[in-house]
Order: sequence, then C-alpha cells, then structure tokens
Amino acid sequence: MKSNRMLKWFLYGYLALVLIFIFAPIIFSVIFSFNSDRFPTIPLGSFTLKWYETIWQDPDVWEAARTSLIVSFSVATIATLLGFATAYTDYRYRFKLKPLYLALILLPPTIPLIIMALAMLAWFAKIGLAGTVTSIIIAHSVLTAPFAMAIIRLRLSQMDATLEAAAWNLGADQWRALRRVIVPFCRPAIVSSFCLTAAVSFDEFAIAWFISGLNKTIPVIILEIVTGNIDPQVNAIGSFVFLTSITLVVIAQVVLMTRDKKEKVNHG
Amino acid sequence: MSVSNHPTETPSPGHTPIRRRHRSDLFQQALRLPIVIWQGLFFIAPLCFLVAMSFFIVRNYRMTEAFEMKNWFKMLSRDYFWDSYGLTIGLATLATLVVTTVAFPAAYTLAFRMSEVTRRWAIFLLIIPFFTSYLVRIFSWYVILAESGVINAMLGYIELGPYVMLNTKFGTIIGYMTLTLPLVIILQTFSLANIDRRLVEAAHNLGCRPWRTIIRVVLPLAKTGFIIAAVFCFILSFGDFVSPYYLGGSKPPTLPILIVDTVKSGQQWPRAAVVAVVMMVTLFIVAFGGIAAAYRRRTA
Amino acid sequence: MADALVEFDSVVKRFGDFTAVETMNFTIDEGEFIAIMGPSGCGKTTTLRMLAGLEEPSEGEIRMQGRVMNHLPPHERDTPMVWQSLALFPFLNARENVEFGLEMRGVDAAARTKKALEWLDRLEISEFAERDINSLSGGQKQRVALARSLVTEPKILLLDEPLSALDANLVIRMQSMLTRLQRELGITFVYVTHSQSEAFAMADRVVIMSRGHIAQIGMPRDIYRAPENRFVAEFVGRNNIISGTVKSTSGKMVTIAGSLGQFKVAFGGAHQPVVGDAASFVIAADLVHLSTTKPKAGNMIECSLISEEFIGSVVTLFLEAPDGSEFKVQIQERELSDMDLKHMGRVFVSWASDRAHFIGAC
Repeated sequence: MKSNRMLKWFLYGYLALVLIFIFAPIIFSVIFSFNSDRFPTIPLGSFTLKWYETIWQDPDVWEAARTSLIVSFSVATIATLLGFATAYTDYRYRFKLKPLYLALILLPPTIPLIIMALAMLAWFAKIGLAGTVTSIIIAHSVLTAPFAMAIIRLRLSQMDATLEAAAWNLGADQWRALRRVIVPFCRPAIVSSFCLTAAVSFDEFAIAWFISGLNKTIPVIILEIVTGNIDPQVNAIGSFVFLTSITLVVIAQVVLMTRDKKEKVNHG
Repeated sequence: MSVSNHPTETPSPGHTPIRRRHRSDLFQQALRLPIVIWQGLFFIAPLCFLVAMSFFIVRNYRMTEAFEMKNWFKMLSRDYFWDSYGLTIGLATLATLVVTTVAFPAAYTLAFRMSEVTRRWAIFLLIIPFFTSYLVRIFSWYVILAESGVINAMLGYIELGPYVMLNTKFGTIIGYMTLTLPLVIILQTFSLANIDRRLVEAAHNLGCRPWRTIIRVVLPLAKTGFIIAAVFCFILSFGDFVSPYYLGGSKPPTLPILIVDTVKSGQQWPRAAVVAVVMMVTLFIVAFGGIAAAYRRRTA
Repeated sequence: MADALVEFDSVVKRFGDFTAVETMNFTIDEGEFIAIMGPSGCGKTTTLRMLAGLEEPSEGEIRMQGRVMNHLPPHERDTPMVWQSLALFPFLNARENVEFGLEMRGVDAAARTKKALEWLDRLEISEFAERDINSLSGGQKQRVALARSLVTEPKILLLDEPLSALDANLVIRMQSMLTRLQRELGITFVYVTHSQSEAFAMADRVVIMSRGHIAQIGMPRDIYRAPENRFVAEFVGRNNIISGTVKSTSGKMVTIAGSLGQFKVAFGGAHQPVVGDAASFVIAADLVHLSTTKPKAGNMIECSLISEEFIGSVVTLFLEAPDGSEFKVQIQERELSDMDLKHMGRVFVSWASDRAHFIGAC
C-alpha cells in the first residue's frame, strides 16, 4: 500500500508538471509585459509600464481593438443564433438527410484554419466581399457556430421532453412555445455560447490575417509585430488579449455552473 | 419528420399531434433552410471553389478561371514540395505520438485518481488555453526557449547548456504540444472516465496486476476515444503554420507555411490551392483510417 | 470451527461518516453454500467486496484459512467473483474471457485454451466459444461469467446478485444449475442477493443483514419458522407481529397481554421473558386457523375481512383487528371456497400456542 501512495504522489506531480507546461506561456507572457528588458530572461529586469504606454499611444492598436470588438460581438450573435437553430432542429426533428445536415454545421473546426483561410480568401474575392469586416464576421461565424451548437444541444438534452408539449397543450403555437419555453430554458447555455464564440473569434488570426485586408484585428496586429522582430509590445497586447478571453471563458463557465447548482437545489 | 406514411395506421399516443403537421413543416423549414443556405454559401462553396481554383491559371499576375492541370504538374513535380510533405507528415506523426504518450498519465490521474469535483476543476483549467491566443503563447515560448531565454538561464545555474531549442524540430513539437495537449488530455480523460469500473475490478479479481490491467483492460476499453484524440492531434498539428514557422525555423517549410508564403508573396493562389487540396486529401485518409480503426469490430 | 474457511472477526467498514458494515462476526465453512441477504444498502455487497479485496476493512480482521487477508490486494487472492453486471470484457470473445484468469496465472496458451473449452463444454456453451460477448444472450453470458470465475478452480466463489438481470424462467434454471455445480465441485459459494426465494432455494445457510448488522444467521427453515427479531420477521415471509407486555410465565409458556387481548406463547431460545417487560411474538400467516364461528378457547382475535389476494392455490386474506392493525392469513383456496365469507364480515383467527414464536422486546 506504501508503493500505491508513492505512485499517487508521482501521478499528482506529473499532472502538476503538465499544467505548468500548459500555463507557462500564458504566465510568462504576463510577467514579460511588465519587464524592462527587450530580450527578457532570468533574472528579470526592472518593473516597467512602458510597453503598455507604447500600445496605449498606438492608434493602429486602438483601431484594431475596435474592429476586434465589433467582429467578436457580431460573430457571437450570429454563431449563437445558428447554433441554437441547429441544436433545436437536431433535438426535435428526425429527417432523412439529418447526418448530412449536422455534418454541414459541425465540420468546419476539423478543417485546418490555413485551408479555411485560403478558401475564404478566394471565395470572398470572387463574390466581392474581400477585405471587408463583414467577410471576417461571416468566416468566424461559420467557424464558431459548432461550439454554440454543442453547448446548446447539451442543454436541450437535459430538458424534460414534455415541457414543450405542455406549452402547446396550453394553447401556445410553435413560435411562442419556442420563445416562452425553450429559449428561457436554454438561457444559461446561450449566454455561455455567446461568451465562448466571442472568445474564439477574438483570438482567431489565420483567417483574419488572410481576409481582413486593411481592417486588421488585434491578433493580426500581433502577427505582424511578431513577424517583424522581437518586441515586448506583443506581451502587453497579449496580456490584454488573455485577460479578455479568460474573462469570457470564466463567465461562460460560471453561468453554466450556477445553473447546475440551482437545479440541484430545486430537485432536493 | 416522417409522420406515418400509412394512412391506415393509427397514430400512437404521445406522438407529435398530426393536426399540426402543415404548420409544423413551415416552422421546421424556417429553422432549417436558412442554415443550409448559409453554410452552403459560406462553408461548402468556399471549399468547392478552392478545389476549382487549383485548376485556374495565372497570367500577367492575374488569376483567370480555367481548367488546366498546369499547377498540379508544376507543384507535384518539384522536390521541395515532397520534402515539405514528408516533413509535415513526419512532424505531425511525431507530435501525435509524443502528445498521446505525454497526455496518458495525466488523463489517467484525472479519470481514476481524483474526485468528481477536482476532475471538473482540472478540466476547466484545461479548457482555458483552448480559448486563449495561441499566437501569443507561441511568442512566449519563443522568448522562453531562446538561447539566452528563461530555460537556458535556469540551466546555466546548474552549469548546463546553453542548448539550441529554437529553429529545431524540438521547438516545433513544443509548439504543437501547446496547441494540442489540453484537447488530447480532455478527450482521453472522458474516454477513461467512461470505462465501467467493474471491468477493472473484475480484472483485478481474476488475478491481473495493476500495470497489466492498464494494458490488457483499460487501453482496449478506451481505444476509440484515444484514436479520436490522436486524429484531432494530427489534424491540428498538420494544419498549423505558427509553430513550425516561429519555433521550427521553417527550413524547410511545412505545407501550411508553403500556403502562407505562396499567398502572401504574390498572386499564385492556384498553387496554394493545390497544396491545400493535397493536405485535405491526406487528412481525409488519416481521419477515415483512424475512425475505421477506432470502430473496427475485433476479429477473433 | 475446524472447517472454517473464512472468518469475519469484528469487521467494521466505514465510508467517510457512513458505516456500511458494523462489527461483523461470522464464519463461512468449507464447501457450504451461504447466502447473504438483505434490503438494498444493508451492507451485503460491501461484505462481499471486502472478501474479494476490493474494499479494505476499517477495523477487525478477515481471515481465510487462518491467514489475515485485510491488506492483500485483489489480484493476489483467489476469490473470483460473478458480478451483477457480469463484467465480461467486451473486447474479448467468450473463450478469451474464460482464459483471462489462467493467463494471469501464467498458464501457457495451449493449456489454457484446453481448460477454457472444457469449462465452456461443462456449462453447455462450447458452441459459442469464439463468439463476440455482445452477441450472446443473457443466459449464455451468465454461463461465460461462471466459467471465467471457476476455470482457475478456486476454493471459494463469490456471487453478487448474478441472477437479478434474468427473467423469471431463466432464474429457476440457473438456480438449479448453480446448486448442482456447487455440489459437484464441493467448493464454497458466497451468494449475495435481495431475493428471499433465491437465497432459500439454494443456500445451506442464510445471513440476513440490516443496516450493516447481521440480523440472523441460520438455515433457511429456521429463519423462516423462527425469526429472532422483528426485522427478520418482517423481512422474511408473511408474518403477523403482535406486541404487548409479559404478564406471567410458567414453564415454557409465557402470557402476553396487549391491545388485542391475552395470548399464550411457547418460548425456548435466545429471548428470556421477564414479567412486566414489553415483548412481541410472531405468528406466521400460514399457521393460523380461520373460522366464522367463535372458537371455544385459546389464542384468538376477532377480525373483519378487508381484502383478499389470490395466487394460484393459496389465498392471502387481509383482515382488520379490533385495534385497527392488519392481520394476514394464508389458506388454501379450496378451504376458502368452503367458507362463506363476506366483505367486512366477521371472522375469527386462532392458533395453537406452540405455533407462535416469542421474539422478546425487539
């Protein structure tokens, strides 16, 4: 039994190392953003805010931040709408070509971003949308809708199947039952899906880089700075980006978790 | 919804009321059709156009629609293309093996040695990086792994190094791991957590030692999930241009870097399309091979 | 206790704050068929799992052939188990499942195949040897699981509600197969179940458990006719339990007075009546005499008929006693049709004093 305990601590230690590996780049990026050295290493240089000042004064960064926020917000709205409609269709209906229909919405994340980027670039050039903010929004919506679908579908599968029928029985037509029963039931999943799709869109760089033209998003700015040379500005922007995405992910998680707890209490 | 094709059949109770059938169709179509059109227009069409584009030609720096095999001959007859192809497959395979191996003890710990609550928190931690900027994380590694970076500085204290880690295959694999490790751990944990514990106990009960149980019982039961995780790892590594470019040094370039270079350095989109189509075909083969292996019935 | 194979010595098992098994003492003899029975959550499965080494006792000792087993990991014991879920390996076929235990003991391939086929043949499923586990029927799977556990020729076989997933007809057939196997092999079977009919049909001895305690150990007949306490009396069979206080004792006879009147009960055994104490006795539903006219003397209660439950040749009548409690009587259907009973009609139940069973205060 002693060897068993040693194995247990070995495994815990291993798991801790893996988590350190996964979070090291995130943590170091934040540390470096406050560090005065151009080539940060150990021991660290002095504390500074100059990288934040640089990006604060850079109009390109402000412009990109504006574009990124518009894109993320629109993408989250569209992707959640698409995700909700497909999740509900999958939940409620059976039809002949359903596997094909589901593949249509679920497959985009399995295609490498670089291929999607090239395909989107060529197609938007063809239909005359190249270089517009609209094209980024559309491309990101296609990319993130499956996440929304998965989250909302999971929520629907926890729903009592007779709830909706009860609403019909009380005289609600299908649209009203959808609005008054299904949507309220799915609200936590909808909020969650909104945050997560916004986070994915906010971080996506490959497609945005290919098709954005002059409407650069934040990740595209980062990519361009990184391609130039080593510039700790990236760490400052990076910390800001991490903060945004992690906040969105935490909100999404907390909304889903509090819902779980509440329902557990209700069920006694 | 196929509500009774036989008019004589009595509708079973609890079935969706047939009275609503007509309006139901309208409702259902209103939910379904816009999505089919949207995904057709912005997902299927771009991919089809990509395939078509590989047959277009470029004249006087302008792309013209055509159906010629020129790009295909040009790309497939070049040695550097096949060098890149071999390198990309090699690196992605290596990453898949490394990540699958590194992930397993972590997933095993999460699935078998932790309480439900701790596991949920750990999974939550593993989900975070999935939604944070991959680009910034790779740049962070770039600084950490540099010749005068954090790792070499620390190794210096114990009189080791400095080691060259940037612009090597090691660097590329670190990048691929950053991209795929959390996802693979999560997928492996789910498939391990779904194993019926009584089968593990049954193996112990029949005299199987703990280590042997992992090989003889746990892994065969988790096979499907592990293969799917590995396939995802391969797809993500195969299609990533950031790690091999910034951490691997891009000499020679991998296929995704080839696409970036070809597109960003001029109007040779059709040639990039050829690379993209070759990549897609490769991934289809790998994915279907993997899925077939994952769901294969054992032959006694 | 020369033949004791397994001894439970003051065994306690706790899961956090919850005590699953509390100070358990009993022995299992070599070659006996013992059933552990009780409602769900009584600790019977935990007891079995401790035997297999899947749980460690929190206190006390479990000894097997005199050797303390507490810390021995499951894979070093020879205590194969047949699981409620069967726990057959889905990635192995029937024969490979049976071979598993032999493989773990280092038996070479040819020998273990031979052995596995012998066992499959013995259990009459050799034709399915190479079949996928999931293509077998419930009964066939059951036999594969049995063969898998018996192939290593253990001294003891543990069975955890193995028949609960089968339909009624199959259960009867499997029961007779299990008893036959046990007689032929001469090994110890420890059989956990919540079903009284399974336990009584097969076991030499039955252990009845309630909330982590042993409520009674004994041969099925003894438990059925002489329950030691209220729990067993209620859990087993159809019994009427009547409570009151001890009024007097004389020889082997005790008089108990309660809200239903005075009754004379024979006693002998564990509980010694003390005058003035609260006490109860049990009268089995099938040992009661029923009549429409008032008996001359003896133990009797006047009741009214509430309802009847008809199961083949036997009928259970539900009566209401004067104090509002329920009284059950089981009689032959033939007898009942000779009587002229009306709903809410008056009936008299009576019994001989030596038919009632004194259980003391509990």
